[in-house]
Amino acid sequence: MSIENSGKPVTLTIDGKPVQAHSGEFLLAVAQRAGITIPTLCHHPALEPYGGCRLCVVDVTEEGWDGWCKMVIACQFPVKEGIIAFTASERVIETRRVVLDLLLARCPDTPLIQRLAREYGIEKTSYVPNPNPTDCILCALCTRVCDHIGVSAIATVNRGIGREVAPPYHQPPPDCIGCLACAEICPTDYIPYTTSSTSRTIWGKSFEMLRCPTCGRAHITVEQARHFAGHGGVSEDYFTTCDACKRKQMAGTFQRLQGVLPAAAPPAR
Amino acid sequence: MSASCSVDLTPAEKVLERYPAEEASLIQVLQDVHRAYNYLPCEVLVRVAETLHVPLAKVFSVGTFYKAFSLTPQGRTIVKVCTGTACHIRGAVQLLDELCRQLNVEPGGTTPDLGFTVKTVNCVGACAMAPVLIVDETYYGNAAAAKVGKYLKGSGGKADAN
Ligand code: SF4
Ligand code: FES
Ligand code: FES
Repeated sequence: MSIENSGKPVTLTIDGKPVQAHSGEFLLAVAQRAGITIPTLCHHPALEPYGGCRLCVVDVTEEGWDGWCKMVIACQFPVKEGIIAFTASERVIETRRVVLDLLLARCPDTPLIQRLAREYGIEKTSYVPNPNPTDCILCALCTRVCDHIGVSAIATVNRGIGREVAPPYHQPPPDCIGCLACAEICPTDYIPYTTSSTSRTIWGKSFEMLRCPTCGRAHITVEQARHFAGHGGVSEDYFTTCDACKRKQMAGTFQRLQGVLPAAAPPAR
Repeated sequence: MSASCSVDLTPAEKVLERYPAEEASLIQVLQDVHRAYNYLPCEVLVRVAETLHVPLAKVFSVGTFYKAFSLTPQGRTIVKVCTGTACHIRGAVQLLDELCRQLNVEPGGTTPDLGFTVKTVNCVGACAMAPVLIVDETYYGNAAAAKVGKYLKGSGGKADAN
């Protein structure tokens, strides 16, 4: 999320501590900067806030509100001068407990949710546990990261209790480039994939791998290289060498420039 | 893609011509296309995605989100039974049972001749007339299971069971 530093400087209070920020910044970011932890499940600093999990609820009040508080989600609440936030009031904790209780009902076997629930004193959900347990908490991190890199191969489909993350028609997604971003960002490791030195499979689609000419490691799919070359305006060749080898080559170049290493022989043509 | 359909894309092209080729047109286009085909065939969704430059996953997401859209062929006549609280209390279940019995379909199902689709809805805002049954655009208040055949006859589809 782009932090709107363009806003004017403001002072607010979080858990009794005066904190500097810029108006319009989201409360979650401000709190994190001040070293105050607010639990989140659907937030990722590289993506627009989504407000899907409601775990980051906090209480906010202002001078003159007579102690009246409103409950907001920190990840999408823009701060302004003088607000007073409570990130761990009794009401806030109780609300988070309800959120986690519901999540635990949906995902009774998911370690991340079990751990968070336990932190809030919940060992077992007080609701009827999902008869078909899933590890997906519908945080939409996967679909949002897929959108973010300009692919949008997957999306949430259906609604209500039938809502799920899936490719169109539950078929191998034509737009998928096999980058694994969705699987890697998933907080519950719900998205299965396989990857080896020769091929990769995710969402039922198989990909051929490019090998780094220097170290021989298969590090990127052909479709990935094509996609990023198309978007980044660089040639596909740029992606054939893996990042680690590229870094080494770059370091070598710098050292040569600084005269630490002798100049390399010109590459044989 | 799934379904082995070979759908005529002409009606979809006609709809698409009327709207700017951008994401903001998506729901309008889907509504018009749905009217033209009475459902959203997969080939049509693919064409809509291409023409509006919207990822197919987004089109599929929207197409599966709204109850107004169906991804499977629907009957020429849509019969809805309100199963909201008021209608439920006043006999929606019997109404639905009788309707499904006469048409020989499950709730949500479509007769094999594509004559009728039976749907349930949650409160149509006419609770005073509960239970409510809707045949296409015609609302029947205080609907009785015994009159289901009559309601269906007033419709465009063939009610062969009566
Ligand atoms: S698959 Fe993972 S990342 Fe995607 S919505 Fe579910 S939990 Fe979140
Ligand atoms: S982190 Fe704020 S709602 Fe999920
Ligand atoms: S419950 Fe059927 S109209 Fe309201």
